[in-house]
Amino acid sequence: MENKAPQQRRDSATPREAIRIENVTKRFGAQLAVDDVSLEIQQGEFFSLLGPSGCGKTTTLRMLAGFEVPTEGRIMLEGEPVEDVPPYKRDVNMVFQSYALFEHLDIADNVAFGLKRRKVPKDEISRRVTEALELVNLSERSSARANELSGGQKQRVALARALVNRPKVLLLDEPLGALDLKLRRQMQVELKAIQREVGITFVYVTHDQEEALSMSDRIAVMNAGRVAQCGPPEEVYEHPSEEFVAGFIGISNLISATAEDGGQVRIANGLRLPVPLPDGVAPGDPVNLSVRPEKIAVDELEPGMVSLEGTIVSRVYLGVSTQITVSLGDGANLVALEQATYRARADDRWEPGTKITLGWHPEHCLVLR
Amino acid sequence: MSPSAFDKPRFLRVFSFLVYLFLFVPILVVILFSFNTIKSLNVFHGWSLQWYQEFLDDPSLRESLFASLEIAFATMVVSTVIGTALAIGLVRSRAGWAPGANILMLVPLVVPEIVTGISALLIFSQIGIALSIWTVIIAHITFSISYVTIVVRARMAAISQEVEEAAMDLGATRWQSVRLVLVPALWPSVVAAALLVFAFSFDDFVLSFFTTGEDLQPLPVRIWSAIRFGLSPTINAIGTLMMVVSLTAIAIAVVLPRLFGRRESGLKVLTAGEG
Amino acid sequence: MTAGRFWDRFLLPGGVWLLLLFAVPCVLVLALSFGYVDDLGRAVYATDLDNYSAAFDPTYTPVLFRSVLYALTTTALCLLIGYPVAYYIARYGGRYRNVLIALLVLPFFVNYLVRTYAWVALLADEGLVNNALIDIGVINDPIRMINTPWAVIGGLTYGYLIFMILPVYGSLERLDRSVIEAGKDLYGTPLQTFLHVTLPQTKQGILAGAVLVFLPSVGDFVAAQLLGGPDTYMVGNLIQDQFFAANNWPFGAALTVVMMIFLSVWMVAYLRSAARDVRGAAI
Repeated sequence: MENKAPQQRRDSATPREAIRIENVTKRFGAQLAVDDVSLEIQQGEFFSLLGPSGCGKTTTLRMLAGFEVPTEGRIMLEGEPVEDVPPYKRDVNMVFQSYALFEHLDIADNVAFGLKRRKVPKDEISRRVTEALELVNLSERSSARANELSGGQKQRVALARALVNRPKVLLLDEPLGALDLKLRRQMQVELKAIQREVGITFVYVTHDQEEALSMSDRIAVMNAGRVAQCGPPEEVYEHPSEEFVAGFIGISNLISATAEDGGQVRIANGLRLPVPLPDGVAPGDPVNLSVRPEKIAVDELEPGMVSLEGTIVSRVYLGVSTQITVSLGDGANLVALEQATYRARADDRWEPGTKITLGWHPEHCLVLR
Repeated sequence: MSPSAFDKPRFLRVFSFLVYLFLFVPILVVILFSFNTIKSLNVFHGWSLQWYQEFLDDPSLRESLFASLEIAFATMVVSTVIGTALAIGLVRSRAGWAPGANILMLVPLVVPEIVTGISALLIFSQIGIALSIWTVIIAHITFSISYVTIVVRARMAAISQEVEEAAMDLGATRWQSVRLVLVPALWPSVVAAALLVFAFSFDDFVLSFFTTGEDLQPLPVRIWSAIRFGLSPTINAIGTLMMVVSLTAIAIAVVLPRLFGRRESGLKVLTAGEG
Repeated sequence: MTAGRFWDRFLLPGGVWLLLLFAVPCVLVLALSFGYVDDLGRAVYATDLDNYSAAFDPTYTPVLFRSVLYALTTTALCLLIGYPVAYYIARYGGRYRNVLIALLVLPFFVNYLVRTYAWVALLADEGLVNNALIDIGVINDPIRMINTPWAVIGGLTYGYLIFMILPVYGSLERLDRSVIEAGKDLYGTPLQTFLHVTLPQTKQGILAGAVLVFLPSVGDFVAAQLLGGPDTYMVGNLIQDQFFAANNWPFGAALTVVMMIFLSVWMVAYLRSAARDVRGAAI
C-alpha cells in the first residue's frame, strides 16, 4: 500500500505531525459544541476521542473530515491549513457509524467509488480494490450488494472503501457501535491489526472507554466541548487529571476531603489520610480523593498502606471478581473489587454487616481539584 | 352483529368478500358490455370488437386519446423532476421557510379538486393564456408535484445523510453526490411516483374539465360529454382501454422496484402515496 | 457554502411553482368572490359582499346543507364498510395481506367517470339490476334507484372508500398484536376488547380516513350529476354551473370560498398532523 503515497511520508524515524488542531471552537447557533480545543496527532498514531454523547467528539471529527467548518481556530493536515477545504478535496477518509454504503452499487464498486472520483486508471483501480478487499477478508463477496451483508461485513466494506484511497488520516465515527459485543471485540482486534499493517493515522471516536483503552496509542477524553485530558491509555486511567476523567474511565471512588499541612487530607468522618498533594493545593482547600476499586485491599493489608475501618453494606458477585460496598460512616461509601484467584473464591467471604479493614498504598490515591 | 363478530373471521370474511364484489362487479360489467355485439347495456348478446372499432375509427376521439397520452407524459416528466427535488429539499433543508413549503405542498392534496380546477382557470384567464392542452398540463403538474413529493419523501426520509457525506468524503462534489448516490438510492420511488402520476393524469377529469380548450379535449372530458348524451357501448370501450393504460402504468410501478432488487415492495410505495 | 444553503435550492422549483400556480390562484378566487359581472358579462374585481349574501339565500342554503349531509353520510358509510375489511385483512390476511390490499386499490385506478358510469348502467330504470329483479320475479315494475339521494351517496362511497380503508389499515397494521392479547385478559369478551383496546388505538387512522373521504366528497360534482338529478345537486354542481352555464364567475368563486370555510376546520386539523408526518403515512 506504499506506492503512489504522497511524497516524504514516514521517511524519517522521528514522529511527524499528521493533524494539528489549534484553538478550534464550533458553535451551532447559540449552542457551543466544541470549546477551544487544541490537539496534535502524530503520523501512524491510533488516536481516540473518547467521551459521553454530546461532548463534541463527533463534531471535532466532522471538522477534520470537512463536513463542519470551525467557528474559530485552525486545522492543519500535515502542516497545511484545511479548515476551509471542502470534504471532497481533503486527503482524509471517514468510516461512518451507519456504514453509509451505497446500496445501488455492489461491494467492489463501493470500494472503487473514491478512486473513480479521483480518475485513477482502470487497471490500478481494480488492483487496489482487490487488495483492499483482501485486507478486510471480503474478496469472495466483491459482487454482493450492500444489503446482502451482515453488520460486521458492512463494517469491513466501509473500512476498505476508505482505506483504498490511502488517506493521510482515517477518521472513524463509532464504527463498531452497531455491532453486538462479541463481534465488536473481534473487530477491535482486527482494526488494530489493520492499522498496524497499513500504518495510516487513525482518529477514532467512541464513547466506549474499554474500546479506547484497548486500541489507542493516545486518548483525548472530551467533556462539554473541551478536552479534559489527553495522553496514553495508562496515563489517562492511572492518573486522571480531573474528577470527570476519573469517573468516566473505569469505576472510581470519589471522596470529598480538605487539604491539610504535611501531605495529608482530612475526610468527612475526621480521619486523616496521607496522600501525595499536587502543587498549588493550599491547606484548607476542598479536594476530591480518587481511589480505583481494584487498588483497595480488604482485610489483608500490606505494610505501608493507609488503613480505614468500615462495615460491608452490599456484595455483588461479578464472576471474575466480587464488588463490595463498604460504609465508612457519615454516608461515605467506598467500592472495592476483590478478585477471584486460584487461591480463593471471593464471593462467600463478605457478608453484609461484617466489620472490616480497608487499605491502599498512598500513591494509589489521587487528589483531584 | 353478534358480540364475537370481530373475533370470528367467518362474518368478516363474508363481509369482506361482499365488499370486493361491490368494488369489482361494476367494473367487470363495463368491460363485459364493451364487447357486446348489440348496442344494449343490459342484454349481452355475443362477443365483438365493434365498439373498439368505432372508437378508433373516430378521428376526433383518436386525437383525444393522443392528447391524453401527451398530457400524461408531459405531466409525468415535469412533475417528477420538480417533485423529487422538492422531496429532497424538504427532508434536507433547514431553511426557515421550508415548513411553509411543506404546507404549500400538502394543501393541494386535501383541497377538493374542483377548487384547484377553478383556481387554475382563474389564473389562466387573468394572465390571458388561451385554454389548450398546455393549460391542462400545467394544472396537472401543479397537483402532481405534491403527489410525487409525498411518495419520494417517504423513501428520502429513510436515507441517512451520511450516505451523501460518504460520497463527498470519497471525492464527489455536492452535485455529484446527489447525482451518483442520492438519486440512484431514490430511483425506485421516483419511478413509482412517475408512473402513478402518469396514471393519475391520464385518468383525471375534474382538472382537465376546468382547464381544457374547446377544440382538442382530453379523453375523460369527452367521456363526460358523451355520458350526458346517453349511455353507449363506445363509452364502455373507451373506459376499458383507459383502464388498460392506467393499470399497465400501475403494474409497472409495482413490479419495477422489485426488479431493482429492493427489499421494500413497490406496493408499499404505492400505498404510501395513496393512503 | 454551508450544507443548509445547498439544499435550500432544491425547494425552489417546486416552491415557486406551487406559489405562483396554486397559492396565488387561490387568492385570486378569494378576490374575485367580492367582484361582480358587468353588463358585457365580464367578471370584474370589486369589494362587494353581494355574492356572499346570495350564497346564503334560501335558494342555495339547502344545497350547501345537502352537500355536507351527503358527505357526512358517505364518510360514515365508508367507515362502516371500510373498517371491517381493513380489520379482516390486517388480522387474518396473513401472507396474502399485500395481495388483498392491492386488489382493493386496483379499482381506484380505473377512471372515476367510468366507475360512476358503471353504476348508471347498473341502476338505471332499464338497467341491469332492475332487469335482473324483474326477470327473477321479485318486482314487476322497475324500482327508481337512479336520481335518488342514495344513488349519489352510493356513488360517492364507491368513489372514495379506499381513502378510508388505507389509513385505517395502516393504523391496524401498526397495532401491536400483544396489546390485543393483553386486552383480552383485561376485558374478557372480544367486543369489549375491540371497543376498549383496538378502536381507541386506531383512532388516528379513522380520523385521517374521515377527512380524506369527507373533503373530496363535499366538492364532488360528478356523482350528483350522473347518478342524481336537480334535487340532489351538491355545491360542486352549483359552482360548476356558475363557471360553465351561468357564466357568473364571481358568484362561483364566492360559493367556492364558502365551501372552503366549511372544510377549513377539517383541513387544518389534518394538515397539522400531516405536516409532522414526514413519512407520509397519513396521506
